[in-house]
Amino acid sequence: MSPIIQVNNLCWNVNGKTILDDISFTIPSGQFVGIIGTNGSGKTSLLRSLYRYAKPSSGTVLLNGKDIWQQNAIDIAKQIAVVSQLNTVTPYQVIDVVAMGLIPHKALFEGQTTHDKHLIENALTQLDLLELKNNNFETLSGGEQQRVLIARAIVQQGHNRNPSQQLLIMDEPTNHLDIHYQLDLLQRVKKLGISIVVSLHDLNIASAFCDQLLLIDHGKIIRQGTPQQVLDPELINKIYNVDVTVIEHPQHRRPHLLFSYGDNNE
Amino acid sequence: MSKTIAIIFILTLACAMSMVAALSFGAISISFSDIISALMPGLSDHQVDPIISKIVVELRLPRILLALLSGAGLAVAGATLQLVTRNPLADPFLFGISAGASFGAVTVLTVLTSISIMWLPLGAFIGGLLAVFMVLYIAGNHTYQQIERMLLAGVACSFMFSAATSAILYQSDPQAAASILFWTLGSFSQAEWENLWAPTIVIVISVIIFFGYSKQVLAISSGDENAATLGVNVSVVRLLMLILSSLICAVIVANAGGIAFVGLLIPHIVRLTLGQRQLNNYFIIALMGATFMILIDLAARTMIPNQEVPLGIITSAIGSVFFLFILKQRRQY
Repeated sequence: MSPIIQVNNLCWNVNGKTILDDISFTIPSGQFVGIIGTNGSGKTSLLRSLYRYAKPSSGTVLLNGKDIWQQNAIDIAKQIAVVSQLNTVTPYQVIDVVAMGLIPHKALFEGQTTHDKHLIENALTQLDLLELKNNNFETLSGGEQQRVLIARAIVQQGHNRNPSQQLLIMDEPTNHLDIHYQLDLLQRVKKLGISIVVSLHDLNIASAFCDQLLLIDHGKIIRQGTPQQVLDPELINKIYNVDVTVIEHPQHRRPHLLFSYGDNNE
Repeated sequence: MSKTIAIIFILTLACAMSMVAALSFGAISISFSDIISALMPGLSDHQVDPIISKIVVELRLPRILLALLSGAGLAVAGATLQLVTRNPLADPFLFGISAGASFGAVTVLTVLTSISIMWLPLGAFIGGLLAVFMVLYIAGNHTYQQIERMLLAGVACSFMFSAATSAILYQSDPQAAASILFWTLGSFSQAEWENLWAPTIVIVISVIIFFGYSKQVLAISSGDENAATLGVNVSVVRLLMLILSSLICAVIVANAGGIAFVGLLIPHIVRLTLGQRQLNNYFIIALMGATFMILIDLAARTMIPNQEVPLGIITSAIGSVFFLFILKQRRQY
């Protein structure tokens, strides 16, 4: 199967400062890919350049084999749904926010059809949001808001979606969520059956959910591969400046990181 | 959905009733049957005094239609600008349009005295557009900090044109200064059938385009990046909305002067009473703006016998008090 994303020698400089430095990688269709790295390492910038928000200084990003800057924003929006970090005011009802997913599929004066309403209803059902559909988005908890945005992403894929060509990008979706909602969210995302790129802070969660990890630092890819390949204690020690031991998780057999919490308990 | 339709129905009714009231009341009170006969002469055998008929058809009706268009246009432009700038203070006049229009009008009145006073609306229109294009030029078409640039450039342009206007007025005769009050305070008294086509075309076409972009505008209202990931060309849509709002405003200022506060007030009334989700329901906004404007104009004509109160005074007085009242009532929205 052809890769959903192929990044070639991507560089992004702003005012002489290098944000992304010669990044190349490929994401096979259907994979769950985690981007990890310290604060300010370039995770958000990398994601933005994947969903055609930040224009790179050089290099290319191919989505389903085609350069994203050779396609228009609407074509990209039909293939990539984005759950960015929540920081804007959205004083609308849940159902209105989910319906925004229709925007790339609609001509200027085109209204909602019954077909669209079914799509919205199904997305709400799939994420257990039916009872909340008339609630104000801003009054929801962080976990519920993330679910609404995933429902919107489902709607955004449209009626005749081809899951192998659909990508969902999420920027630190588990921030501010309690552990139940973190796991619940990522399990729901995994069930969508599409390719996922997500930036994560929690390395153990990244290890448990991701097929492939990308560790970036100062805008460069330091290592990419399976969690076993990337979560190397020596490397994590160096990049994150922590003291870490890696064991095998008894359930999923992937790396599990144990951090040293200093000597304050001794 | 049905609730929205009910609201639109009630507002349509209110708008129609305010039109009938505005046709009926004034220096001379005219009965409902006379109004009907004057508007549709062939409909009944009821004979209406030709003078009454002339008042209804030639004087009051064009005036009411101009008020309707202006109210609807200003309200829709205000709502759109508040959404695309995500700034609850955004108002068409914030972008220097009325200052620019006053400058244009003053220039025609004092500097270009050789040309007819007929050109005064055109001068105001050009002045308004001049201010807007300065704002647009400075705001640029990049998303980055576009909103801040727009708002600050608007404020700066307003002051700049006001300074120029004051300087010219200071040098000119008192008569010109009195005429210019018309532009700053607003009035529909100049409304005539032959002058209605420009505001009608500009406002109707702009509002139709606003309807077309209402989904995109809603997406922008919850963040530029959010809208961009939904395939919306944020900076272009925002510029288009500003240009259309400015055209609406310029054409209203040219025909009726600077009617303050309507573009700010109506969207806020809708937001406070019906919720932000109705803010891009332009039917509701337009009907509410139109009804409000017609009633304000009626008040302007009838409040003091044999004299007209400038519109800007009433809209600002009623608007600001009402605005403060609802703000106090509903602390959060």
